[in-house]
Amino acid sequence: MFASLHPLDIAWEVTSAIESVLLAGLLWRRTFLRYPVFTVYIVSTLLQSAAIAYLYQQSGLSRASTWAVAWGSQGVVSLMRALAIAELTRSLLERYPGIWKMARRILLWVGGSVLGYALLFSKDGYQWAIMNGVRGLELAMAAVIVTVLLFARYYRLPIHPLQRALAIGLCLYSAFYVIDYSLLERVLQQYAEFWNFLGITTFLASLLVWMWGVIRSASFEEIEKPIAIPPEAYRKLSAKVNLRLHLLNRQLTELQRAKDKQP
Amino acid sequence: MSISMIVFILLAIALIVILIAASQPPKRSEEPIENLFELLSRPSHCARISFIMRSLSPQDTAYLRKGKNRALRNTLRRQRRVIALHYLAELQEEFETLLEISRGLAVTAPEVVPLEELTRWRLSIQFAINCTILRWQLRFGLGPLHGFTTLSNMSIGMVRHLEAATSSIARDAIEEAEIADFERHEDGDD
Repeated sequence: MFASLHPLDIAWEVTSAIESVLLAGLLWRRTFLRYPVFTVYIVSTLLQSAAIAYLYQQSGLSRASTWAVAWGSQGVVSLMRALAIAELTRSLLERYPGIWKMARRILLWVGGSVLGYALLFSKDGYQWAIMNGVRGLELAMAAVIVTVLLFARYYRLPIHPLQRALAIGLCLYSAFYVIDYSLLERVLQQYAEFWNFLGITTFLASLLVWMWGVIRSASFEEIEKPIAIPPEAYRKLSAKVNLRLHLLNRQLTELQRAKDKQP
Repeated sequence: MSISMIVFILLAIALIVILIAASQPPKRSEEPIENLFELLSRPSHCARISFIMRSLSPQDTAYLRKGKNRALRNTLRRQRRVIALHYLAELQEEFETLLEISRGLAVTAPEVVPLEELTRWRLSIQFAINCTILRWQLRFGLGPLHGFTTLSNMSIGMVRHLEAATSSIARDAIEEAEIADFERHEDGDD
């Protein structure tokens, strides 16, 4: 049976099967309650696969219409992914109000700048508009995820294995999408099928990462909110920190003087 | 291949590399945030400054230069270099502790000032670079003339940022306490 199937078709069917299993896992583990947008995103990818499969089977439709529907649905799926990233970012940072307020502005700036750059330096022409827009969005999403992870690393914020898996899967897919599309855009259009296969394989890898995260999510408890320190403690702390820093500063100055005098 | 295409691919590759580095579990502080602030009350190596200063005193090497005892002078210089390196390591450790505290402040603060946080990130990167440069200068026997001044300026900057963050937290806490007090009085009147 499989001998008559094309590798691209096999990859597509395997991906759809894993998407279904992941969706079942999200529902079974009740992860959809914590990540409803991500769950809707997975549903949208399943619907997209079904819609495209149906379109290709319809011989009456023109190539241009099929192309427009396929890329239009890709735009919707990318938008859902962007919303899933917003949800993930919120779940990672919102328990730290100070950092979250600051991060929102920085992440919007990072995402907006990358998207702006991507659109500015993309190929002209309306037929490329959706594809360029999707690539810009994917690059912006990858940049946002990396920035969130850098935030978490700098402030030593705990990350749940499921959150880490979601972030890695989303970022890897977006980054590989940008590479695949950039190569396809001008150089390798004759190998479009091969790049489609690569795209599906990348998505398959992301699905497996998410599956791993969903499986692991059962054994980990919710990360607790940090305890706010009372204002008196802050005032005392400020004085102590200042004293220590002044001493540190004085030491450095004295050491510098000593080194300058040294023959 | 156009330049923009190369830039897109390089950006994507750079993001994957950073993702790999950033997705490693963060190095968690062994102390909880509350205890972390107690680190400030631990004895500082500031107490050792007098010994450090004595060891770096220029009179000894000046005397040995007059006496033309080159071997002894080199030994003394080598030992001083070791002391300076130890001292630099301690300064770095103390700076790291202060950064850890400032992270704790940001994590528990209801509001942080983005510009100040950005400055602190810049300061920490500068401090790390300067410390590395100074360490190599000391190892190769070069005189670090301006490096320590740069580091000390960074420390002044850190004081200012921590002070501002703490004042903001204190102000918010006072406001919250006043609101809670007002609401309590209102309930009492009813």
